[in-house]
Amino acid sequence: MRKSFPVEDLARDARFVRVPIMERITDPRNAFQEQAGSSSRRAAGRLTPERPDAPDAARALMHGIFVGEIQALEGAGRTCWDFEVGAGDEEGVPEVPFELKLDMARQCWDEARHCEISIKLSDHMGTELGEFSENTFLYEAACNPDPVLRLTGVNRALEGLAIDVFNTMREFGELAGDPILEFCEDWMLADEVTHVKMGSDWLRRLTVNDKDRQKRALEFQRVVDKLFSLGGFRGEEEDSPVRLARRFRELAGFKEAEMDTLAEVAREARSEMEAQVARNKIAVTG
Amino acid sequence: MAVEIRPETFSLVLFDVEEIRALTEQLVAQIGLPRDASVTVEVDETTPLGYAHVTSLSPVMLSLESGALEDPKRPRQMDPVGSADVLGRLLFEVRDRLDPAFGEAPASGDLTLPEASAWQAYCVGRLGRLGHHVQRQRRLYHFRNRHAFSDAADAAFDRLWNGDGLTWADIVAESNGALAAQPA
Repeated sequence: MRKSFPVEDLARDARFVRVPIMERITDPRNAFQEQAGSSSRRAAGRLTPERPDAPDAARALMHGIFVGEIQALEGAGRTCWDFEVGAGDEEGVPEVPFELKLDMARQCWDEARHCEISIKLSDHMGTELGEFSENTFLYEAACNPDPVLRLTGVNRALEGLAIDVFNTMREFGELAGDPILEFCEDWMLADEVTHVKMGSDWLRRLTVNDKDRQKRALEFQRVVDKLFSLGGFRGEEEDSPVRLARRFRELAGFKEAEMDTLAEVAREARSEMEAQVARNKIAVTG
Repeated sequence: MAVEIRPETFSLVLFDVEEIRALTEQLVAQIGLPRDASVTVEVDETTPLGYAHVTSLSPVMLSLESGALEDPKRPRQMDPVGSADVLGRLLFEVRDRLDPAFGEAPASGDLTLPEASAWQAYCVGRLGRLGHHVQRQRRLYHFRNRHAFSDAADAAFDRLWNGDGLTWADIVAESNGALAAQPA
């Protein structure tokens, strides 16, 4: 069996269609979106039941969660297989403690359950599997050849994003009076807090005597966190569709300063997206 | 019957004007709008959002954001099945509004979210019986979000979905009944 499975070869049936994130970013219609904070209705905004399109927006986000769970399962599964068991202190040999693999196996179990919950929630919300496009940037973060960087990218950045998204959906379900959505998201959220905690713990344990590696891992996390902020889709602005779930991130071991940094990274991502939109506007309208 | 599509050519999305026209003509005939009705479909291609509503009855004017006709799996491309769902729903709304027996409904922009979801359930249910692909569970989810996740709301939805010859007063009564039965 191959090590470090490339994203292009992930198994999907004909229902699933992948759309690269750049295709969304370079959509010429983005050039006509108003700047952030505008009162005109050109952007979706925060997910609340008051939005006329709220049920369909929730369906689309739920489908994104579903394909994200598939990729999280694939990522954790690859980490069980891609690295050998060992102390990891020999140069060039990607080794991990057996206990780390056990944690990843437990995570696979959780992610598989989340896939099944997501399928049932999709049925509940009237969504067909593969109804929306899939973006594989989550799995791509799980392809780093250094196990410490991979764990940081997956368990702190990806699973951290999952905390924010699940909390958003849990709140939406609560406000909409949908107990099925609310409780399913709450249960999955509890697992994600555990997954992030695993990432934080292993980052600390594996880099306790290697501050340079720890620094590289945190730099990698910052890059991934910016990517996962999706141009301000996730952030702390009033109109961010997905908000940072500070309380749950705190439970997962994030420090206040780390969350402030993450909020800053999200603002940077939003500014960069707005600059990209401005460039597109010039390209489209002249 | 005259069907006009605006704009005459698209530059930001990859929609085919003739495909939209043919689909609209087919739906107008199936739904049974008056033969002399002229229908304009105006698409705002500058936004990927998906709002769609009836803005005029004489002549019939349907205003849509491009996301309403877009394939959710293929950015900027039209989805014929989803487009039939949206255009068919709007044309059923037009037919209801043109029918004196239906009664006087508020303008599209003045409908409450529960009223809008109840009327949509009634429209899309009839569209499905014409043989078009529709998503019953999706519409039920919309209805539950706007009324309640309750047995009473589901029963009201069933009556709207399977209904025929309903009036605006019937739709409002089903919507209000479902809202009144909300769990505490």
